[in-house]
Amino acid sequence: MNIPVVLAVAAVFTFLRFRRANLLVWAGAWWVGLYVIFRFGFSAPIPASVVSLYMGIVSIAILAYVSSSEQRREEISGPLIRFMTDKRYTALLGATVVAIPALAAANVYVQMNVPLEPPLFPRTVHPASPTEITVHDKKIDLDAGENPFLELAVSHPEEFRKHVENGRRVYYQNCVFCHGDNMTANGMFVHGLDPIPTNFADQGAISILRDTYLFWRISKGGPGLPEEAAPWDTAMPAWEKFLTEEEIWDTILFLYEFTGQKPRAREEVHTQ
Amino acid sequence: MTSRLIGLSALGYLAVVIAVLCGAPSGPMEAQLRALALSDVEAQPDLGTEAQRESGKVLYAKYCVQCHGEKGDGAGDATLHLLPRPRDFTTGKFKIRTTPSGALPTHQDLVNIIRRGMPYTSMPAWPNLSDQDVSNLAYYTKTFSPDFSVAESVPKPLEFPAAPASTSETIALGKKLYEENGCLKCHGALGRGDGPSASTLLDDLGYPIRAADLTQPWTFRGGPTRQDIFRTMTTGLNGTPMPSFADALPAEQRWAITDFIASLSGSEVPAYTNLVVAKHALDPIDLAKGAEVFASAPVARFPIVGQIMEPGRQFNPAATSVTVQAIYDAESIALLVRWHDSRADRTGKADPTLPVPLEEEVEAAKPAAAPAADPADPFADPAGAAAEAPPSEFNDAVAIQIPTQAPTGARKPYFIFGDAQNSVDLWFFDLARPDPLQFTGRGSADVVPNDTGDVTGVASYDQGEWSVIFKRPLRASSGVAFVPGGFLPVAFSVWDGFSRERGNSRGLTAWYSVYVEPEVVPSAVGPMVRTALFLLVIELAVIGWVRWSRRSAAERQGREGGSHPAATRA
Repeated sequence: MNIPVVLAVAAVFTFLRFRRANLLVWAGAWWVGLYVIFRFGFSAPIPASVVSLYMGIVSIAILAYVSSSEQRREEISGPLIRFMTDKRYTALLGATVVAIPALAAANVYVQMNVPLEPPLFPRTVHPASPTEITVHDKKIDLDAGENPFLELAVSHPEEFRKHVENGRRVYYQNCVFCHGDNMTANGMFVHGLDPIPTNFADQGAISILRDTYLFWRISKGGPGLPEEAAPWDTAMPAWEKFLTEEEIWDTILFLYEFTGQKPRAREEVHTQ
Repeated sequence: MTSRLIGLSALGYLAVVIAVLCGAPSGPMEAQLRALALSDVEAQPDLGTEAQRESGKVLYAKYCVQCHGEKGDGAGDATLHLLPRPRDFTTGKFKIRTTPSGALPTHQDLVNIIRRGMPYTSMPAWPNLSDQDVSNLAYYTKTFSPDFSVAESVPKPLEFPAAPASTSETIALGKKLYEENGCLKCHGALGRGDGPSASTLLDDLGYPIRAADLTQPWTFRGGPTRQDIFRTMTTGLNGTPMPSFADALPAEQRWAITDFIASLSGSEVPAYTNLVVAKHALDPIDLAKGAEVFASAPVARFPIVGQIMEPGRQFNPAATSVTVQAIYDAESIALLVRWHDSRADRTGKADPTLPVPLEEEVEAAKPAAAPAADPADPFADPAGAAAEAPPSEFNDAVAIQIPTQAPTGARKPYFIFGDAQNSVDLWFFDLARPDPLQFTGRGSADVVPNDTGDVTGVASYDQGEWSVIFKRPLRASSGVAFVPGGFLPVAFSVWDGFSRERGNSRGLTAWYSVYVEPEVVPSAVGPMVRTALFLLVIELAVIGWVRWSRRSAAERQGREGGSHPAATRA
């Protein structure tokens, strides 16, 4: 929540309460106040389309309230009718009659002059993987398999270190140009890529994926993606063209080690 | 009374907290104070404490060792594919400093370069490390060269006077000094990095090095601001042919050249975009008129990255961006592609299918010559020993890539020369030839000639810049049609023959879009007037109805009760 904005709206409402404002002012205040809160009251911005949806609901609710009794209808329509008929307000009424179409025309102008944006393609970031892939003529089971060198961490720690170090070498000779030294997707070519590379340091990236999923993404790259993930745009190479199976597994070990994360474990199906 | 006391004590507490926070040790400030103290008193090497160096060592092992190596000699795992090479700390030579030519950097210089990184190289910025961590890394870096512990070589920073205002006079003076002092021998008359000596430049280790393109300050290793340019010109870049002008030119003259260089681009950041807008031209497009017919079309700048996805990779492409403009007439569309190239290479061959041996990915990063005892002297007589480098085996070339078929939905071909299901049309221009050629790409390994004769073009090279115009009928026998009001994917490839780029070894862009702007852009006036009139009519109708019903109600009341109409106004 954006506290100052919420407090400001509350302060205005309190002021109106003490001034004993009439129902028309209250209806306007609620509408504007809620709009301000939706638009500026939250630290994470709400999309404009969602805000207009909410405001539609707010408008209906206010209309329902003010028309719910004869007295409220009178309270709302009385000032409006006076505004339109009383000679005292003639100048103000004239200004309002001109201002509303002028504002609407200005809005049409703005709508017709939005900067050009190329068509966008919503892409799936982590599409479902196939159950099995073939890399260097060897079938890799992505569902049941796991990194063959992972167990060395316990059984042969020294061997394991060698694999991690080899992964480090592979990463910095090949991956660093896009994924960056710190794995935060700030490599030297990132400014020319769209979509941008995965940020491995992000806690929500490789920790929610299985290591076999990474093996699929690394070995088959952008061209191996299904249609919904826009395989034509991503610059991730199909690393099977450059790396051996072992090098890919080693790199995966290194990714998890460097970022201090763990691959998502395979979920066991419990049968009774 | 009590409440006031409580308020006062709360204020006092706040003041104490703020004082403590501000007084907390902060790396750069400490270092600055130390530097100040050192310049006053006798200079002592600033090597940090054992604990600081140890802490730096741990960080170095995690973040730096992969490029700079365990021994700090710049021979890490990643070095294989990197140009410029990672810094060899054992030499004590550092490019970006505030100290005289050949001198060591100050502690703060090292801290700054770790913090800011070097743009358009593999040295990234490290914004997330704490000040303390960066300082400790700088201390550890110093352990690799014994020079840092010698009292006589303790660096004394040069003086950097405050920047005077840049005016049209200082820029004009700077241009004159730029020419008189030999800057153009490497950087070229217009600053595009195309001087006559540019092709011969080597660094201290014998690796080829490119003269900076002064029109693109965002690629400057030391930073893009006027202060950065002035500092580089004052100190020179140790280990490279860029000399120091601290002794040769007084500060006002260095500032004048700085102003001239800053005026070449007018911007410290690149205006990269994702869209080129093709403007309608009333007159038929005449290739003979050259680039001038594009004057009304907006300029789109697209970043170029190395082709590092398919075998035959190029990790250090010569071009860093292309600018593109587009126009169309009743029949044809024309695109003007421009980029900077240090030399026009037109003596060899070029073809998008030329093979690149795998070993060359590595060999490209090997020294071109034996390490020179002294950096190549760019100010030597060009007619003397430092003659221009031999002609290149490969030609400069450029290609525009569009889909062969109109994309259905957002489906595009793979951005590197298409894929098996979705092919691309390549307009390829070997810049040694008079005309472009067409190819069809179904992936990097499947590019075949498909010359329909539809694409014509003209290319020219002037003072470090290629200007290449391609022209094709809006609807052609091959390649997707350009329709006014529509977007189409477009991508670009650039080959620099001097850097042995050909085939897959090249710079390329991702897919961007070309928008064919309709001849008549719909005016907003009509819809604006319609909306305003519509609302006005509704308003008047509502007001009229309210007034009419009030009046008739009042009259009815007047007839029935005989009361005064004004009584209804409550």
